[in-house]
Amino acid sequence: MTRMRQIWSSTSLLQWLGFGLCVSVTTPGWAVPSFARQTGMACAACHTVFPELTPFGREFKLNGYVLDNIKQVTGIDTSAHQTLALNSVPPISLMAQISYTHTGAALPDSALNGALAKDGDLLFPQQVSFFYAGKIADGLGAFIQLTYDGVGDSFGFDNTDIRYAHHWSFGGSNDNSHTMIVGVTLNNNPTVQDVWNTTPAWGVPYSNSSVAPSAITSTKIDSGAGGFGQSVGGLGVYLWLDDHFYAEITDYTSAIRGGAHPLDSTQSNVVSGSAPYWRVAYEQRWERNSLSVGAFGLSANLHPGLQGAINTALAGVTDRFRDTAADVQYQFIGEDHLFTFLGTYISEHQTLNASVLDGFAANTDNNLKTLKLTGEYYYQRRIGGTIGYFSTTGGSDPLLYAPAPVTGSANSKPDINGYLLEVNYLPWLNTKLQAQYVGYQKFNGQSTNYDGSGRNASDNNTMYLLVWLNF
Amino acid sequence: MKFSYVVTIAMSTSVCVGGIAHSADPTADTITDAQKAAIQKTIQTCGVCHGVNGRSVAPTFPNLAAQQAPYIELQLKAFKDQSRADPDAQAYMWGMASQLSDANISALASYFAAQPAAPGRGGNSALIAQGKHLFEEGVPARQIPPCATCHGAHAAGLAVFPRLAGQHAPYLLKQLLVIQSVLRTAPVMHGVIKDLTKDQMQAVVAYLESI
Repeated sequence: MTRMRQIWSSTSLLQWLGFGLCVSVTTPGWAVPSFARQTGMACAACHTVFPELTPFGREFKLNGYVLDNIKQVTGIDTSAHQTLALNSVPPISLMAQISYTHTGAALPDSALNGALAKDGDLLFPQQVSFFYAGKIADGLGAFIQLTYDGVGDSFGFDNTDIRYAHHWSFGGSNDNSHTMIVGVTLNNNPTVQDVWNTTPAWGVPYSNSSVAPSAITSTKIDSGAGGFGQSVGGLGVYLWLDDHFYAEITDYTSAIRGGAHPLDSTQSNVVSGSAPYWRVAYEQRWERNSLSVGAFGLSANLHPGLQGAINTALAGVTDRFRDTAADVQYQFIGEDHLFTFLGTYISEHQTLNASVLDGFAANTDNNLKTLKLTGEYYYQRRIGGTIGYFSTTGGSDPLLYAPAPVTGSANSKPDINGYLLEVNYLPWLNTKLQAQYVGYQKFNGQSTNYDGSGRNASDNNTMYLLVWLNF
Repeated sequence: MKFSYVVTIAMSTSVCVGGIAHSADPTADTITDAQKAAIQKTIQTCGVCHGVNGRSVAPTFPNLAAQQAPYIELQLKAFKDQSRADPDAQAYMWGMASQLSDANISALASYFAAQPAAPGRGGNSALIAQGKHLFEEGVPARQIPPCATCHGAHAAGLAVFPRLAGQHAPYLLKQLLVIQSVLRTAPVMHGVIKDLTKDQMQAVVAYLESI
């Protein structure tokens, strides 16, 4: 599952290793009314249904979030060069999510052996986020999110993408003309800068339960806040040519918040050197349709650092993660009917020299393969739904994927697959009422007694009700 | 299938570029380099949806190429003062036009009016023939006058009467519907099309898209 903030909820070595299953917290947001305030345009200009972007929304982002239609505070120097172009009203907005989660079978009590937790959990709120999202200066814009997390009862820095874009056109205004945007992005989550909804940071599900069990592992690029999300910083450059071709390379390194600084052995999964991310995509638009195909990937060498109660130095051999992904997105945006298809395939090869040396993993070579297929339909942007399929498979590793109640794997495998059903009703464009059901055919390796403690995959089937407000 | 025209994407600055000259040609010698750049950026901003050459990809957004300059001016001012209030006007154009100066509006109108018109695209020939008849003859039995009376024999428009030739059929159909339901105010048109059926609308817009 995407964009999950992994919160270690057990003291087992496996879970502290960073591969264990955790309770997750989503960090959605991203469809922010501050953009509407800045541009004077309705949400529907940039979003089919938030947070999914339309072609215009992609252009808005690629151009640096700077299109504005409100009064500016301006300044020039004596050479008439502009020194300031600031929105007279700051592009600030708020997002609130209130959710209810019910799983197929109650989860174990966190303190009492044999007892069960309350069956059904209301989070009021699941999340509240503040955004500055919009123009900073001519060509320079930002999407900055600060989030209160209802599970962690904490407030902190969330997804951030600060970018500068410059546009060129050449060849005149005839059919032989060409356009090019070159941009620079400074962000804290690989793919948060992307403009398609097939990459993890903005992928389906756009929101999900933050208390239901989630998979024992996922690929690094798909782990959201459990991986690199909000714990790295990256500087990248991108090219958008003729409204068709996109290419980007961004280099990340660890930027872990809190704990020891400079980073040392008390921090976990620290990037050694830098972790390059790359992205290419091609988009074709015709009539009311748009189709994009692309590929992206990430390569990272990590020092395990603190794993459980064991400190390992940020030196010597490392674990290497190499993710390679392909994606395809199709959108039809009609007056009444809107269709979207999203497909993503991610392959990760792990070379765990450090973890094997330190006894955290059994195999040096591991792999994960993730597939996500999603179809969406909306009628008049008011009511619609989602059908999705997801799976992750990988090799067995008795240390990475050890048995543990709910969170572990009895057969040492990370395999998971299931489906997602969603009905959404939007009485207003900035308000979503959602009912989501996630069903698992396989969880952490198998369907029945997957954790070695008698829990079945279907016990984790999750009904999730959400009120999602952006204003 | 109509593939994308090159769409320039320069939302790198505000559309509020006040003070630009009344000129259709950003390269004219009478304006400063800064003004040229401002005009060009504004055109590029419009071009995100309408195409820098005024020929749009998605039929939500009308072609502006070869449109009558007075009509473009009138509409931009109606967006700016919010007197044109159909759904897409509110969603897209109220914001986009809100900061345009009169000079900017004139420059944009002149620029797009000077672009080569979008070519017609064929379709259902029977429907097109029906639409042609309706466009040229009207529906006398229902007191619907010929569209050509105001929009011209070749639908090229005249002054504040818009060019319709080569326009996206879905866009034209939507305008007829929102004018008929008075979501979009167009005093002359309200009377003309009040009894036009949706089937007749579909025929006439198919014809207009084809020429």
